[in-house]
Amino acid sequence: MEALRELVMKPVIVVHGGAWAIPDEMAKASVDGVKSAATEGFLAMKTGASALDAVELAVRALEDNPVFDAGHGAVLNANGEVELDAIIMDGRNLSAGAVCSVRNISNPVSLARAVMEKTDHVMLTGRGANMFAESVGVTTVPTDTLVTEWERSEWEKAKKYPTGVRELFNCHRGHDTVGAVAVDSSGNVACATSTGGIRNKMVGRVGDSPVIGSGGYADNVSGAVSCTGHGEAILKVTLARLILSNMEKGKGVSEAVDMSLGYMADRVHEGGGGGAIVVSQTGDWAAKFTTERMAWAAVKEEVIWSGLNPSEQFKETLTQ
Amino acid sequence: MGEGRPEGPPRRTSSPPSPRRLGSPSEIPLAEPTDHDMAHGRSNGSVPGMFPVLVVHGGAGHIPNERAELSLAGVRAAVRGGYAILQGQGSAMDAVVEAVTLLENNPLYNAGCGSVLNAKGEVEMDAMVMDGTDLSSGAVSAVRRVANPIQLARLVMEKTSHLCLTGDGASQFARAMGVPDVSEESLITEYARMRWKKNIAPDANPVECQMGKMGTVGAVAVDARGNIACATSTGGMLNKMEGRVGDTACIGCGGYADNKVGAVSPTGHGEAIMKVTLARLILFHMEQGCSAEVAADKALAYMKERVGGLGGVVVVDPQGGWAARFSSLQMSWAAAQNNTLHYGLYSDENFTQNIEDPH
Repeated sequence: MEALRELVMKPVIVVHGGAWAIPDEMAKASVDGVKSAATEGFLAMKTGASALDAVELAVRALEDNPVFDAGHGAVLNANGEVELDAIIMDGRNLSAGAVCSVRNISNPVSLARAVMEKTDHVMLTGRGANMFAESVGVTTVPTDTLVTEWERSEWEKAKKYPTGVRELFNCHRGHDTVGAVAVDSSGNVACATSTGGIRNKMVGRVGDSPVIGSGGYADNVSGAVSCTGHGEAILKVTLARLILSNMEKGKGVSEAVDMSLGYMADRVHEGGGGGAIVVSQTGDWAAKFTTERMAWAAVKEEVIWSGLNPSEQFKETLTQ
Repeated sequence: MGEGRPEGPPRRTSSPPSPRRLGSPSEIPLAEPTDHDMAHGRSNGSVPGMFPVLVVHGGAGHIPNERAELSLAGVRAAVRGGYAILQGQGSAMDAVVEAVTLLENNPLYNAGCGSVLNAKGEVEMDAMVMDGTDLSSGAVSAVRRVANPIQLARLVMEKTSHLCLTGDGASQFARAMGVPDVSEESLITEYARMRWKKNIAPDANPVECQMGKMGTVGAVAVDARGNIACATSTGGMLNKMEGRVGDTACIGCGGYADNKVGAVSPTGHGEAIMKVTLARLILFHMEQGCSAEVAADKALAYMKERVGGLGGVVVVDPQGGWAARFSSLQMSWAAAQNNTLHYGLYSDENFTQNIEDPH
């Protein structure tokens, strides 16, 4: 049975660049960024890389891309500093690694993978996470290199017009977490999510992204999910785990995401907009959101799908 | 249990059901009868149909004999403190925070004063609360020098629009809220320091040594209005790396509460609990129609089989059914319902006494 499955499994990858009101001037760069990240992960799987490798590669590509709020391009907290969160999870054995509130790390997703592979722990936070990064030789960068001019000016603007935490929290900016999910030719699934969080967040605020079951979850029994959107709402419903539990009950991937996003919007009073990408263990996939926009791309069988606006789905043949 | 199936919750004329209540108990099918799952052999009882109810735990694992009696006395005292609030028409949230505060203040448990030390010999604590009425929640991770992390977690829930604050940010928030800074020494017991020293010895095997010795504390409750809450607090695992965050600060892992389904507070091997999102998993089973007890046993068995982790949980459902279940050798737990106090340490133990009994 294993051998047969290996023969028939076609690798699939889906990535997102965050669910929020993406301004027009960033639209093309966002879609190009997710397409290129998805392609990179897919091609790696074609040449034998695991789903875990593919999601890490794709998220690294998005972290390196200043268009997205993760790694380079992250938003600033109330003190004008960068604090990054990330998670990675392997659906084979449910092993996971996460970091929260790390600074001067250009690729938090790779640090999260090191937590998974080189410690007995699942999550490291703050200074401890940075010390671990040093001990395993993960490259640190001067924090300023992670901050874009654009973000610095947006942050200054936000500072100039002080608003209550609740207003800041509901602003459209800064929902663009990045993430990836994949199933490889052996039928293994994985997920990864990385973010700079929300602008002007309190120092030390941890959102959904690094929290297992909320920002992401991967289990070979069902599939893999990466979430984005209103972090506090996602946490309250443990969105990633909720989507997979709906799939475990027999729902298809799209229906499972729609149901779960609908439940989040209904149940969480302050309004819970968001999005999620999902692959099932059998290679079905979905990219859905309730925010104005979400940049996403998926590659399956040499076809790349992508979109930005609701119900949009562009299809192209993958050119290498 | 010998009490038979109760007809419904006690009627409290002074407290009409709140509009947030999901339905009168007569509209909600009662949980299945309490025929215990002897296959798992740890049958701690469940009396559906009665609230208020409060269940607390003082951690799953192996409790040294000389500490066993004290550990049981501590959970009984905590449950009495929380239950008094429920009897006075207090909220489930107030009751779980009170019970966990009492356990944090008791140096016997691995939470607040008495927390285990990290690899550097320091105390870093995690805690979370969740309110089942609207799923609001607050958590702190790797927080230092506060006496009661559970109260700080509650402040995160009530005073910020965030759910979790970590490390120095959590400490800054504590200062901003006027929470007193306590000395590191005041949180460290001789016992904690002795175990830390033992575990940094060159031939020690810290993981082996502490498997299941983790006295995380927690509480779940349903109040007279049918509102549900959970609270969990811990010093984490002995000799953990600096900055390690366990299940306790992660919603869905170290706790979850939803008025529609119930509440769970787990304890045990934190990393295993995270991998299966234990609290949420148990509530998923309950949504599918399992009793609190069956759901807990299923999820604990799954955690053992899938990721090799042991632990324990306290669970309540919206009808007042409750369970205290564990796959570890022991878990100190206590529950209060219908003026009766239940408690136990080993599998199948369910001692009872009148709530007024001072011991």
